[in-house]
Amino acid sequence: MPRPDAATKVDALLELRDIHKRFGGVHALRGVGFTIEPGEAYHLLGENGCGKSTVIKIMSGAHAPDEGEIVLEGKVYHSLTAIQSLSAGIETVYQDLSLLPNLTVAENVALNEQLVASGGRLARLFDRTRLRATAAAALSTVGLPSDRGFLGTIVSDLPLAQRQLVAIARAIATKAKMVIMDEPTTSLTRREVDNLIAVVERLRSEGVAVLFVTHKLDECYRIGGHAIVFRDGQCVEQGPLANYTKDRLAELMTGRRIDAERYRTGAPMDGELFAASGLSLPPNVRDVSFSVRKGEILGITGLADSGRNELAMAIAGVMPATGGHLRLDGKVEKVRHPSEAIRLGIGYVPEDRLAEGLFLDKSIFENEIALVVRDLANGFGVVDKAKGRALADKLSQDMRLNTRNLDLPVGALSGGNQQRVLIGRWLSILPKLLVLHGPTVGVDVGSKDTIYRVIQQLAEAGMGLVIVSDDLPELLQNCDRILVMNNGRVVAEYDARETDEDQLYKAMLVSKPAVNTETAR
Amino acid sequence: MSATHLTESAAVPIARPNSLLALVRRRPELITLALLVAICVAVSIINPAFLQPSSLVDIGRASVVMGLFALGVFIILAAGGIDVSFTAIAAFTMYSMTLLVKNHWPDAPIALVLVAATAGGALLGVVNGLLVHYLRVPSLIVTIGTQYLFRGILLAFIGTVWIMSLPPTMGAFGRLPLFQFESADGRTITLPFYFLVLPAAALVTWWMLNRTLMGRAIFAIGGNANVAERLGYSLRTIHIFMFAYAGALAGLAGIIHTAANRQSNPFDLVGTEINVIAAVVLGGARITGGTGTVIGTLLGVLLVVVVNSVLVMVGIPSTWQRVVVGGFILLAAAFFVFCQKKN
Repeated sequence: MPRPDAATKVDALLELRDIHKRFGGVHALRGVGFTIEPGEAYHLLGENGCGKSTVIKIMSGAHAPDEGEIVLEGKVYHSLTAIQSLSAGIETVYQDLSLLPNLTVAENVALNEQLVASGGRLARLFDRTRLRATAAAALSTVGLPSDRGFLGTIVSDLPLAQRQLVAIARAIATKAKMVIMDEPTTSLTRREVDNLIAVVERLRSEGVAVLFVTHKLDECYRIGGHAIVFRDGQCVEQGPLANYTKDRLAELMTGRRIDAERYRTGAPMDGELFAASGLSLPPNVRDVSFSVRKGEILGITGLADSGRNELAMAIAGVMPATGGHLRLDGKVEKVRHPSEAIRLGIGYVPEDRLAEGLFLDKSIFENEIALVVRDLANGFGVVDKAKGRALADKLSQDMRLNTRNLDLPVGALSGGNQQRVLIGRWLSILPKLLVLHGPTVGVDVGSKDTIYRVIQQLAEAGMGLVIVSDDLPELLQNCDRILVMNNGRVVAEYDARETDEDQLYKAMLVSKPAVNTETAR
Repeated sequence: MSATHLTESAAVPIARPNSLLALVRRRPELITLALLVAICVAVSIINPAFLQPSSLVDIGRASVVMGLFALGVFIILAAGGIDVSFTAIAAFTMYSMTLLVKNHWPDAPIALVLVAATAGGALLGVVNGLLVHYLRVPSLIVTIGTQYLFRGILLAFIGTVWIMSLPPTMGAFGRLPLFQFESADGRTITLPFYFLVLPAAALVTWWMLNRTLMGRAIFAIGGNANVAERLGYSLRTIHIFMFAYAGALAGLAGIIHTAANRQSNPFDLVGTEINVIAAVVLGGARITGGTGTVIGTLLGVLLVVVVNSVLVMVGIPSTWQRVVVGGFILLAAAFFVFCQKKN
């Protein structure tokens, strides 16, 4: 792509004018418009369900707007096809990554370049040499290996963080003019985020516009650029990011004031509720011991490969521990299967609510009662619907769902509401201990606030909670104590009131000096 | 330096293929090959007569029609669909073609007959493709429907009478030898010329899948059709092409079936779909789509054909064929899953 030089006037790359989109009765976009200039960074902010995804799909050619115009490099369109959008250099890194799991890394990264070059026509020869060259260049830019072995790896064999980088590599494999990144950092460690930010800087210096969609405001400030704030399908604010404080942005997104102070006000009660001693699940978890008191909120953090995820799953019986034991209410218990954990009163809200938790095409009602459906059934196995409804109704009120229609499929809810349905389901077993794994991943500011308030309420009621998360502010705001894991072990324990992000982050990296120096570049 | 390189520590280290298991996981057709070799060795020990060229020729001859069907099924499977109408397409084209040639142009050149049958099969395949695309119904359901439809039309409107004597050019094609020799017991063993159609079709299919964008697109939609559509692949083009391709192979297989058996029976072929799908799955293609190879498919076909023919040679009644093939499918499937878990 030619660099925009000073002689030619830099025209807007893309302009949306008064875009409307309706889905059935839902008016998802109500006259939004913004302009994307080459080489600039933009942050599309807003709560889940505010229309961000829809506007991305309109730019990438997946949806046609009902009204409005798309001006792409001076030409006016009513709608774009995927190939038109890609040919114009608009690349998207989707939240679900949109990788083809059965194809190789090289094909995922570079096949689309050939498809776009042929204008979407498939009766063309496929050039394997070019495929490898394009893929290798893009992969080394995002910091992945580019040897033949890696190029030929099937994508489903890669860990999630690498898949995310592969998706980013695909976006920059072509001569992109604009890269849209829909929550690109959710599964990246801080170190990989640093690398991503370096890639973004480089793209911008080459005149590529970057549009971020994210809930992580801290990252927005690190990148800088413009904020575009959506609320209820409208664009409520645009301007340089530096003009807004974090609180102001949160207020613009939600339409109400959110004070990001510490949520935790209560204190743990006396008496041990739960203890793990010598818990092991080699090679990920080694000899981990800790205890949780009644009404206590314990945070556990660490890098993605620190073993925090496996520890959460070991407690819940999803990946049973091979060594050590658990103690609940003073009794030593073994948890070899999730059903045993449920029987004991250990609830587990998984990290990936879509893949591991919710039945998206089933109603809120059916999702809420899924764990207790056997208790609701009479001797003939017929479920007492009225009782179930009453329970689901109470749970959704406790969880402050923003709909009263329990027959709505869960798939139609926003991420924050879905998460609340999932937590509500676990409350149905009246757990003594609730393990929340990444409770607010991909959840917007307003929903986070609600979820945190619910968590605090549960602790007040005497439930023990364990929050496993890499969202450090979340742990600092909600927990009594925070454990840091590293290399399968608990390496540090802090009182949440007396620590900060830096201290936690240092502990996460402590035994990995090599990583530390590299990040400090 | 504008880009930081993280190669040495990017998140979790990549699992390198460390064992035989990893190899088998990437190339499941190795299991098919191993099974095939094991059976051949075992049978040769029990009954050395198996190693004679004549039995190899028999196996080769018996693989042609099933192999052509299997290539078609494999393509649909690779794209995440499933096709059970191909036998009906084959029966339809072979019988109508034979009837047409016999009644109107008995001296039609065989090349033209083959091309016409292939084109006819492709046309019926297009019907499948359009229905799958526009009805947005799973291809299994659509092709169950069209199987009944094609077969019903054949039997209701075209004919139900066996054609016992083929038009001369078709009969001659069925007898045309590629090579001939005398076996030890004095019989003349013939590998027919039409055998060449299978390797030719396999080569074309391999080339299409691995060297054209269409081929990669077929695997792409087998991986995830929604994602592929988002990335700019035209599902309509792919659906129509792949069903037309499978239909063309079925049409060709039908006419060869007729020429080889020297008769055309409109009730023939339909009912053998599962056998073919079993062969493709034994060849390492996952029923959920997106995987498999042409060579694996051919090995799967050989495995089924060999099992069908050797059991008789070692004195096991032919009714046991199904038990053996069924056992192999379960074994192979369990092994593939085992390999995945290990990784």
